[in-house]
Amino acid sequence: MTAVRATSLALRYGRTTALEDVSFSLRTGVTGLLGPNGAGKTTLLRIVATALPADGGTLRILGHDPGTPPGRLAVRRRLGYLPQDPGFHPSFTAFEFVDYVAILKELTHRSARHAEVARVLSAVGLDDRRRSRIRTLSGGMRQRLALAAALVGDPDLVILDEPTVGLDPEQRLRFRELIADLGERKTVLLSTHQTEDVMSLCQEVVVLDRGRVRFEGTPSELAGLAAGRVWTSTQRQAGALASWRTGTGLHRHVGDPPPGAALVEPSIEDGYLTLVGAATGAEAPATAGGAR
Amino acid sequence: MTWHLLDDDIRAYAARTLAAPALWSAEAHLAACGECRERLAATATVDMGWALDVGWARLDAALDAPRPGPVERLMVLVGVPEHTARLLAATPALRLSWLLAIAVTATLTAAVAVLTDPVVFLAVAPLLPLVAVAMSFAPGIDPTYEIAVVAPVRSFRLLLLRCVAVLTATTALSTVASLFIHGYGLRATSWFLPSLALTVLSLLLSTRLGAAPAAVVTGVGWAAVVTATLGDRLVFTLAGQVGVAVVGGIAAVALSRQRGTYERYHVPNLTRRVP
Repeated sequence: MTAVRATSLALRYGRTTALEDVSFSLRTGVTGLLGPNGAGKTTLLRIVATALPADGGTLRILGHDPGTPPGRLAVRRRLGYLPQDPGFHPSFTAFEFVDYVAILKELTHRSARHAEVARVLSAVGLDDRRRSRIRTLSGGMRQRLALAAALVGDPDLVILDEPTVGLDPEQRLRFRELIADLGERKTVLLSTHQTEDVMSLCQEVVVLDRGRVRFEGTPSELAGLAAGRVWTSTQRQAGALASWRTGTGLHRHVGDPPPGAALVEPSIEDGYLTLVGAATGAEAPATAGGAR
Repeated sequence: MTWHLLDDDIRAYAARTLAAPALWSAEAHLAACGECRERLAATATVDMGWALDVGWARLDAALDAPRPGPVERLMVLVGVPEHTARLLAATPALRLSWLLAIAVTATLTAAVAVLTDPVVFLAVAPLLPLVAVAMSFAPGIDPTYEIAVVAPVRSFRLLLLRCVAVLTATTALSTVASLFIHGYGLRATSWFLPSLALTVLSLLLSTRLGAAPAAVVTGVGWAAVVTATLGDRLVFTLAGQVGVAVVGGIAAVALSRQRGTYERYHVPNLTRRVP
């Protein structure tokens, strides 16, 4: 089932074009949103989360038009949103914060609400920290707490803006488990700089660059864009789009290979570089443990 | 146990058709009565097994829920619904630090007024709720602003709730401070109507300007009016108070008509933060 269908979305801030002719659709499962800084990812997420209106185009979310007040309310009742910079009331306990968000989501009956708060805290593994003040929680715990708040009410559409930023490898793995589990039943839109997140979590990926959709497809299709354009050698080679020494001591190159080059299987990152790197010279998405 | 659940209630509980408040009563009783739990277990079919799980989950959550803070407990004590008290507890301007700052400002202003001219207090006191209300809803000050924007709870309702709570708190503090203004009679309370009028006017302007700029514009306007009429202190006379009430009333009507603006998702300060 298509949960989100965007057609020719556009948004301008004064003379700056933030989004232009953006079209994509989201179904049950995890969809990754990749793009360099300033590509418009957060703006797009805010539009889908009904925090911002688009200037143009059409948007249908869970069968509703968020441009109308009833449609927007209907969407918000089935939406979970984790902003890039989730704010907390630091004097609240973990339980109180999620309880506050549950009230914002119209769960007013006390015992039912508290049961729901306990459920989501348990889902993110914060059962034993429910009485802890937020200011005493680590960065990873706060991020899980923000996810718990997004999951209140069992939303059908979950929007996560760079949820794995600042997490250590173990925390990131735990987070991936949570999101992967969520994606089995719900529609999840995940903005990230981590290609590992996309590889391990996403059934679909959308690449946004300078406000436009440059790619929409599966992660393997994204990697396939670099087929025949990735090779290794013992020496650094000029003229490649990107070139770096790997942990094995070999140099890995992305670009137009010289005759006789030792071609290798491309990764998502290679596909992303082929798509975006040449056009913008922008930074590539980060790898969790890559030697770049 | 001196009493037990009726068979009909147990069947309704198992079938998920028992409505509140009988539902709450049944849950509380089941938690304490083993005999009724056994009767429920005998009544519930395999498909109904979830009913016990749900009931126990609710009970567990109720027992584990942390005790609310003093401000929340006070609000519940004076009759504010529990969920509304929790919403208000997240209002930045109702934090103890903010309330202390407002109390100190009101006290200092009253002290200056006692030493110089009571009009100092009358002019400054209406600005306190103005600042507090702006602090209650402005992006960058409310840390959960973005989460609240996309929540289904009506923004206008949330705004009014916070305004009423903030106005109540600042009015109480200013009332105590005004007790120190001697020899001014009832005129010592002539900050009250301007407080209400300026707050409503600021809310009206915030539909166009955003919370903080609206408060600044309203505050500057108030200062200009007070300064211009300082000679005869017109604003604090009966005629002046009537004028203030009329302006406040007109602003309230206009705000009521504009309330839909808060339900739209045009948030000027949010869009400026987007890279």
